[in-house]
Amino acid sequence: MAPVLPLVLPLQPRIRLAQGLWLLSWLLALAGGLTLLCSGHLLVQLWHLSTFLAPSCPFAILPQVALAAGTVALGTGLVGAGASRASLDAAQYRPWRKVLSPLLVAGTAAGGGLLVFALGLTLALPGSLDTGLEEGLGTALAHYKDTEVPGHCHAKRLLDELQLRHHCCGRHGYKDWFGVQWVSSRYLDPSDQDVVDRIQSNVEGLYLIDGVPFSCCNPHSPRPCLQSRLSDPHAHPLFDPRQPSLNLWTQGCHAALLGHLQSLASTLGSTLTVTFMLQILVLLGLRYLQTALEGLGGVIDGEGEAQGYLFPSGLKDMLKTAWLQGGVAHRPAPEEAPAEEEPPKEGLPEA
Amino acid sequence: MALLKVKFDQKKRVKLAQGLWLMNWLSVLAGIIIFSLGLFLKIELRKRSDVMNNSESHFVPNSLIVMGVLSCVFNSLAGKICYDALDPAKYAKWKPWLKPYLAVCVLFNIALFLVTLCCFLMRGSLESTLAHGLKNGMKYYRDTDTPGRCFMKKTIDLLQIEFKCCGNNGFRDWFEIQWISNRYLDFSSKEVKDRIKSNVDGRYLVDGVPFSCCNPSSPRPCIQYQLTNNSAHYSYDHQTEELNLWVNGCRAALLSYYSSLMNSMGAVTLLVWLFEVTITIGLRYLHTALEGVSNPEDPECESEGWLLEKSVSETWKAFLESLKKLGKSNQVEAEGADAGQAPEAG
Repeated sequence: MAPVLPLVLPLQPRIRLAQGLWLLSWLLALAGGLTLLCSGHLLVQLWHLSTFLAPSCPFAILPQVALAAGTVALGTGLVGAGASRASLDAAQYRPWRKVLSPLLVAGTAAGGGLLVFALGLTLALPGSLDTGLEEGLGTALAHYKDTEVPGHCHAKRLLDELQLRHHCCGRHGYKDWFGVQWVSSRYLDPSDQDVVDRIQSNVEGLYLIDGVPFSCCNPHSPRPCLQSRLSDPHAHPLFDPRQPSLNLWTQGCHAALLGHLQSLASTLGSTLTVTFMLQILVLLGLRYLQTALEGLGGVIDGEGEAQGYLFPSGLKDMLKTAWLQGGVAHRPAPEEAPAEEEPPKEGLPEA
Repeated sequence: MALLKVKFDQKKRVKLAQGLWLMNWLSVLAGIIIFSLGLFLKIELRKRSDVMNNSESHFVPNSLIVMGVLSCVFNSLAGKICYDALDPAKYAKWKPWLKPYLAVCVLFNIALFLVTLCCFLMRGSLESTLAHGLKNGMKYYRDTDTPGRCFMKKTIDLLQIEFKCCGNNGFRDWFEIQWISNRYLDFSSKEVKDRIKSNVDGRYLVDGVPFSCCNPSSPRPCIQYQLTNNSAHYSYDHQTEELNLWVNGCRAALLSYYSSLMNSMGAVTLLVWLFEVTITIGLRYLHTALEGVSNPEDPECESEGWLLEKSVSETWKAFLESLKKLGKSNQVEAEGADAGQAPEAG
């Protein structure tokens, strides 16, 4: 039974491996911490923008999974740093000998699995943002006027603050406001003929105007903001045709938010990739260090053959021994195979 | 009678030196923090120098920056001295410098305390600068085509949105200035002509405010024009309406922002000052304890450390005497130089 990917490790390379592993482990811990910070930041941003994202949008899963993956990476880094530091001293390494195997299995399974899952989500989920934002912003626009309806009373304030902070207007442009009644009926004068005409001429009885809220105004405009009667060319006779775009924000909030969240997601994706690569290196290094030290009896400068490997025997042999181990437990019939497999079985619990 | 005498044996001296070494390096970190605080305050003041007439005083951030740098320098030097203090050979080369160095440290601590006081007291000058600056800023709001002032509208709008304020003391300040440029007034309209004629200076004043004064928390769409005319808007009473516009004036908002900034910086500097005083006292004890080692061959012997060799009044008298002697010897030297005779020391 040949060990998988064996590597001969004399004294100097062993010490180098332990030292290099210590450095890599701290780098992994740093990368894990960065991932935690990035995913935390993204979670906070999503919480602030929760009004504008449809509840059915699954985008929020990404930072949660990344948070878990970052925690596991941080843990792996700290364990790796401790184990590699202890491996240089025989007395300190003794308590690590029993603990290292299950830790490696847990690290590979949990850490590797979570990181792969998170990376997959980073690639797949931003697409769902599009529809989520579309729906969420549409609802917010429709409820802008409902400042006294419980459950929607904050829509006006949140949408105004969104437009002021992200420099956007409406969903895809300022004309979205022309199709929504954003002035509450409470503030409409029922005796005003203009108001009555507008409501009667609309199929659904909505009061639609060609005006926008104040939060769409662009402070860079040289003239005081024009908010009302925007489609009437004679309403503002001195409107400067050279700078039509400076009066209001031209970008729609859908594009603005999409860009903002996608850039955050891509930053998170790059930190996850770096963490993933570092985690693979640290886990491999730890495995090689562990198997090399086992061959020497747990002392880094001990006598004996120093060979590190990934698995004591190939995959097929491992499965066979595991199967036969289970078979011996059920059938007491003596077979030669299990007796021969006894010594390599020692390697199994470690793998 | 020495002031605050403390007995030191070898172990205690070593512990004192090690503790002082650590404290000095922590103090270097504190110096870096003070430097960055000063830099941050300078940048914040520069960002809004437009509304402060470009005449704001940068004394506080400049002095914080200088104090931070000095603190780093002095404390790293003191750390080196404490490190060498345990080795008699290395300490011998520092010995003659220690007394003047301690004097410089005392002066530095006094200066740091003065800077801390300044952090808390600069409020008054900032208030008057802000009042003038904002008044001018609002005056130039409409001059978006005058070079040198074309950015004032954008600055004031962004300021009012960010600090949630309107006008200098309140939104009524906008009623007293013409903030709509003549370029955008339709002079063929009767209403415009009436307003301009009825004003003494020929200005177009409205009872309206720019859009940046609007409060997003208001339940109704923002009312910007005809603010004092109740009949112009349905179900509107300008006396009781509170949420429509920001109620704070920008002067008060900016003042409270900068005050809180400088107060917190003052608090941090005060803590650092206390830390520095502790270090100076510790250094003085180490100095006198090492001086008091009577037998240089036996490093294990006990010695005494004190703050002042004699009591405070005696030390002050001795200090004045030495000043007088210095003055007398100068005088005698000058006379001797005139007479061409070598003077006798007084």
